Amino acid sequence: MGQCCSCGSSGVKLIYSCSGAANTGYLADSVSRKLMMDGKGKMTCLAGIGADLAGFIESAKCADKNILIDGCTVSCGKLIFEKNNLPFEHFILTNYGVEKGKTEITIELIEDIANKIADAIKTIG
Amino acid sequence: MIAIKILGTGCKKCKQLEENAIKAVELACVEASVKKVTDINEIMNYGVMMTPALVINEEVKSLGRVLTSEEIINLLK
Repeated sequence: MGQCCSCGSSGVKLIYSCSGAANTGYLADSVSRKLMMDGKGKMTCLAGIGADLAGFIESAKCADKNILIDGCTVSCGKLIFEKNNLPFEHFILTNYGVEKGKTEITIELIEDIANKIADAIKTIG
Repeated sequence: MIAIKILGTGCKKCKQLEENAIKAVELACVEASVKKVTDINEIMNYGVMMTPALVINEEVKSLGRVLTSEEIINLLK
């Protein structure tokens, strides 16, 4: 990983969201975009890894951290990363008091969970 | 013909990778084109989040590092 340059910068954090159909998937997507807008990392496509596209897989290998946000405990994103033997830091949004199929997704909720994940990212370095 | 693309917005390392790729083509005596891609949208279409990246026949072979000519020759085989 030390040889990755990203045109001179280092410490690249990539953010992936399950972006599933349920409210939790929508929340995962929204939180990921908020984290990207707040400069916590670059969001990229989990589907690209699922599709075995070399560029996405090599990017995940090369990143300093892969922040993976799954909406629920089915953890599709985690399974995709494990299938490809890729390292990741995992966040499941139902662990933050969100109920699949029930909780209304509001801007306040998106911001609250994004802040909590941002704090956790800081802790893991 | 082998199609080689160097993905990068134009930093020193991207230029070095392009030079190494051209040298590799000469040393390997293969028929190949070397094209530099600087458009960020086109780069993103490859899923590449770190540059420079080396693409051979539309497949990303490496990213985030400057491969040597020898390493590129091995990828051309």
